[in-house]
Amino acid sequence: MDMNFQPLFDSWFFLLKALGTTILLSVLSMLLGFVVGVVVGTLRTYGGRLVNALLGFYVDTMRAIPLLVVLVWMFFAFPILFGVRVDSMTAAVVALGLHLGAYVGEAIRAGLTSVRRGQMNAALALGMSRVQAIRTIILPQALIRMLPPLGSLFTIAIKDSAIASVIAVPELLRQSQTLAGQTFRPFEIYTSAMFVYFLLCYPVARGTDALYRRLAHLGSS
Amino acid sequence: MNLQWNVVFDNWRIFLDGALMTVFLTVTTMALALPGGLLLAFLRLSPYRAVRLAATCFVEFFRATPLLLQIYWVYYVLPAAFGIQLDAITTAILGLTCNISAFNSETFRAGILSIRKGQWNAGLALGMSKGQVMGRIVLPQAVMRVLPALASTWVSLFKDTSLVAIISVPELSYVSLRLRAESYRILEVLTAVAVIYWLLGYPQAKLVDWIHRRWKIVE
Repeated sequence: MDMNFQPLFDSWFFLLKALGTTILLSVLSMLLGFVVGVVVGTLRTYGGRLVNALLGFYVDTMRAIPLLVVLVWMFFAFPILFGVRVDSMTAAVVALGLHLGAYVGEAIRAGLTSVRRGQMNAALALGMSRVQAIRTIILPQALIRMLPPLGSLFTIAIKDSAIASVIAVPELLRQSQTLAGQTFRPFEIYTSAMFVYFLLCYPVARGTDALYRRLAHLGSS
Repeated sequence: MNLQWNVVFDNWRIFLDGALMTVFLTVTTMALALPGGLLLAFLRLSPYRAVRLAATCFVEFFRATPLLLQIYWVYYVLPAAFGIQLDAITTAILGLTCNISAFNSETFRAGILSIRKGQWNAGLALGMSKGQVMGRIVLPQAVMRVLPALASTWVSLFKDTSLVAIISVPELSYVSLRLRAESYRILEVLTAVAVIYWLLGYPQAKLVDWIHRRWKIVE
């Protein structure tokens, strides 16, 4: 089998830009997912039964519907329903973020409930408000304890960003497809893309594990 | 805005066939990925370093790259580079099985390692062989412990089967995307497919929660 990696070198700038889009998309969707997750996780833990049931419905819905369907719906159906224009990058960030947010929410909730109840009582006895107690005492510990699952959710965000290629976001997989179609070198291009994704995901997973080992003592009580 | 839901009801057969294909892919992949994951877990616990290394590379690689790309790779690269021609459904099952086996192997490995060393020693002291200890003592306990994790993987697999739509496997997502393009009833068709996935997936998610509660490890 003859191999020719020349097309990759010829289009290095094109692929680099695609890699940048992949990183941007993963970071933005993780940020959105994180914000949604912290809000959902906190409200589900402390917001009472009705709020818990409503947000539980959102979480379970996201657990039941494939990301591809959420993404395609956000890009094609949402604009028709509300008569607005949504570009593919925005649709991808929102769909990925909402999908991820459900999983982050579950992780945050597990973290919050793992902090002993006495800490909340102690904070309230010291005259703090509930919001203050959650923000300054309980949530920071929960976040540190939940670093490993949050790290693996971040790698999932990177991997799932590839699904945005379906709605033509010019990210790494999409541009690899374009290049493979033009040069008829699918083996070289897809294999290289595989390694690039590996090089993105693997350090994130190992990095958060290392960070957790250094910070774990701050989360224990 | 005028909505015509007829397009959904008139084409119920298409949705049904798609949903059946989705279920078939999920069941077949899991049936292959359970032994596959177990095999990989054993290989990773093997006394030979080369075997361990190879299995670890396989697992880490499939866990750290997008499933969508893996499916593309199997679909475009196997025929082009090695002359292996597979139809779309076989390709889909092969890609999904490699991916899910990698995740299952980590689950099984964690389960096997969670069984205390004393049980191995006790089994060996009673004159059992290593294989017997593994098969009769360690593995049954390990499998029960990891049941909740396997159930979670099942639900993600159910959702991930939607990704094989890109290689034209006629499962629920693919048939819906095609119907969307043919009928131009974009909002109706895409909402319908989301609802169908929800109807299928929501009970599964709830079942997983129940399994988590029922078989949670209490030590």
